[in-house]
Amino acid sequence: MLTRKEFLLGTAAAAGALAAPAVRAQATVTLDVLHAYPSFARFFTPVAEEFMKANPGIRISFRQILPNYDELHQALLRGALTNQLPDVAFSGFNRLPELARTLSARNQILALDMLIAAEGANWAAENFSPRMLALGKVDGRQYGMPFNASSPIAYYNPELVARAGGNPDQFPDSWEGVIALAAAIKRAVPQAMGLSYYINSFDSDWLWQALVQQGGGRMLSADGKSVAFAGEAGLAAVRLARRFVTECGMELIGADQNRQQFATGGIGIIFDSPARLAVISNLVGGRFPLRTAPFPITDKTNGGVPTGGNAAVIMATDPAKLRAAWEYVKFSAGPLAQKIAVEMTGYLPVNLKALAPEFLGRFYEQNPNARSAALQMDRSLPWEDYGANGPRIHRVQQELLTAIMRGDLAPEAGLARMVRETEALMRAV
Amino acid sequence: MAVSSVPFASPAPQLAARERRLALAGAAFAAPAALLLVAILLAPLIVLVLLSVTDYRLGAVAVRFVGLANYAEMFSDPVFRRAIRNTFLYVAFVLPAGVFGGLALAALVHARKRTRSLYEVIYFLPVTSTLVAMATVWQFLLHPSLGPVTPLLAALGFGRLDLLNDPDLALATLALIGLWQLLGFNMVLFLAGLSAVPRDLYEAAALDGAAGAVDRFLRVTWPMLGPTTMFVTITTTISAFKVFDTVVVLTRGGPLGATDTLLYVLYLEGFHYFRTGYAAAMTVVLLAFLCLLSLLQARLIERRVHYA
Repeated sequence: MLTRKEFLLGTAAAAGALAAPAVRAQATVTLDVLHAYPSFARFFTPVAEEFMKANPGIRISFRQILPNYDELHQALLRGALTNQLPDVAFSGFNRLPELARTLSARNQILALDMLIAAEGANWAAENFSPRMLALGKVDGRQYGMPFNASSPIAYYNPELVARAGGNPDQFPDSWEGVIALAAAIKRAVPQAMGLSYYINSFDSDWLWQALVQQGGGRMLSADGKSVAFAGEAGLAAVRLARRFVTECGMELIGADQNRQQFATGGIGIIFDSPARLAVISNLVGGRFPLRTAPFPITDKTNGGVPTGGNAAVIMATDPAKLRAAWEYVKFSAGPLAQKIAVEMTGYLPVNLKALAPEFLGRFYEQNPNARSAALQMDRSLPWEDYGANGPRIHRVQQELLTAIMRGDLAPEAGLARMVRETEALMRAV
Repeated sequence: MAVSSVPFASPAPQLAARERRLALAGAAFAAPAALLLVAILLAPLIVLVLLSVTDYRLGAVAVRFVGLANYAEMFSDPVFRRAIRNTFLYVAFVLPAGVFGGLALAALVHARKRTRSLYEVIYFLPVTSTLVAMATVWQFLLHPSLGPVTPLLAALGFGRLDLLNDPDLALATLALIGLWQLLGFNMVLFLAGLSAVPRDLYEAAALDGAAGAVDRFLRVTWPMLGPTTMFVTITTTISAFKVFDTVVVLTRGGPLGATDTLLYVLYLEGFHYFRTGYAAAMTVVLLAFLCLLSLLQARLIERRVHYA
């Protein structure tokens, strides 16, 4: 008969035998990585392949890709509760502050400052502009390492521009110029929209922030605590929004409907993320020679554009995984990974070295449509964050903007209400 | 007495023990199902009710008890009130149209002999399609400049309508799409009900002087369909109350909140704004509505339903 001691010894041996392969397997570390937007697999996968080639001891395993930054954010919060966080995640810039604050309170996110310092005094300065690194900072600490960055650009149909008597090689650089051109397109081709600036249906407040920031305004005060778009720049922005409808023949339809209609030649000018360059080029096909231009900026001294995109955050806790995760994050923000991502999308490179001829220099010469985003790199402003109630504030603002554009609300009254309701929701947290 | 009491006294405890054994066995058999019910339905329900009286946000470390504040906020929240209004409008259209439309279709299809299965397939197809995929098709069909619907309506003299982006029309458009998706299912249920009506009842009615299709329908078919109608009404109510997927894919509650529905607002609060406590309170209200309506309908209809 089996004694208790024998039984214990036996099971311990069995457990040891089972555990042995695990010990051997530790030679290769597997990183669980999560990112948003299924179409981004086109560059996440080759970047991971290049990384694994350079680091044979680390394997990258992607989790199920999520549809957008908001859902990624939710998945991370749920993962924090159930202890199923990935090792690395690529969080949208606009959700990063909220994510970092929630997870740092739970000790589930790593601030990268120490790791960056350990790379040497000049490493950060040689690779990143301070403006770019600032996009990953929350409350003074570097929680995210920027990976993709973009600011809105103009996409236009040169044939419609030419029919309206405009010069397709000289896209206007101010909003008065854009409105004049779009109105001319509407007159020349009455069944088309002159332009569409779809803040009524865009899935974030990015385009709306762009309209305020280009006029020198900001959404929030410097400390992020109070609303700052109540003044001239905000008013100019809502007036522009209404004029898109009254003067340029814009109709208030869905964002995807806009992209489809633009691709069939039914809209003169649209404004969207450079990350959609490949998607929109595919939609257009050969119907017309698609062109892009930097986002028009009326206030040339203080004006700018909000920067969208994502930053890598590290959530691994195991020391071996943590080291591997930092290698991966560093690689992603490095020149080779940036070259891959930028060439496939139209994003801005986050790494200064990526602009060298052996990386992206040639690409920009051959693909002028991708250059528009890079041309406005020095105009980058943060995508301003209202805090925990951000998505709710966006929904309220979008409704008021729609009402203003429809003419249900006068721009002045609409803006006043938007300021009031935004302030109330910011206080409500 | 003492002698005779013995044979009488002994079977009683024996019987009680037997009953207890039986009851125990019964309980043992019912236990897995009961446990599952508790684990899957009752326990989450209790957690839900508990969450609804807190200010819990997803991911938060601290939770505060707020009593009925969430419920108070809900009824003064214009978005929630708008969602209630829209949901009831939606149900008020989809419920009668879905039930009577399904019945009418079933009656028409039932009378077909050779083409019956063809019609069944045609009307049932929307049920089998994934709504999210279909929504993309709808989005194209209803596109004001690229889709065929707007020019068609214009040719019929309705003017240039944008069915999805006009705040006055968007909810009605979603209701029509919801109806399109529901009719086939209700039709199949009614067809099953119709097949179960015994032939001899019609003959008996004819002998008693029921003349014409209307008479036959009102005196025989309709009463015999009572149980089916009750089932269809309750399932249609529940699925109309749960309208969600078309809203997410086609309008996201817009334009101007014209298509905000209960479940969509609940989803926004819970999964976009992360206000778990508030969303839990909304869920409790939605659940109460559904229970109340189902009970009411069951009561009202049951009184008239004739189970053959």
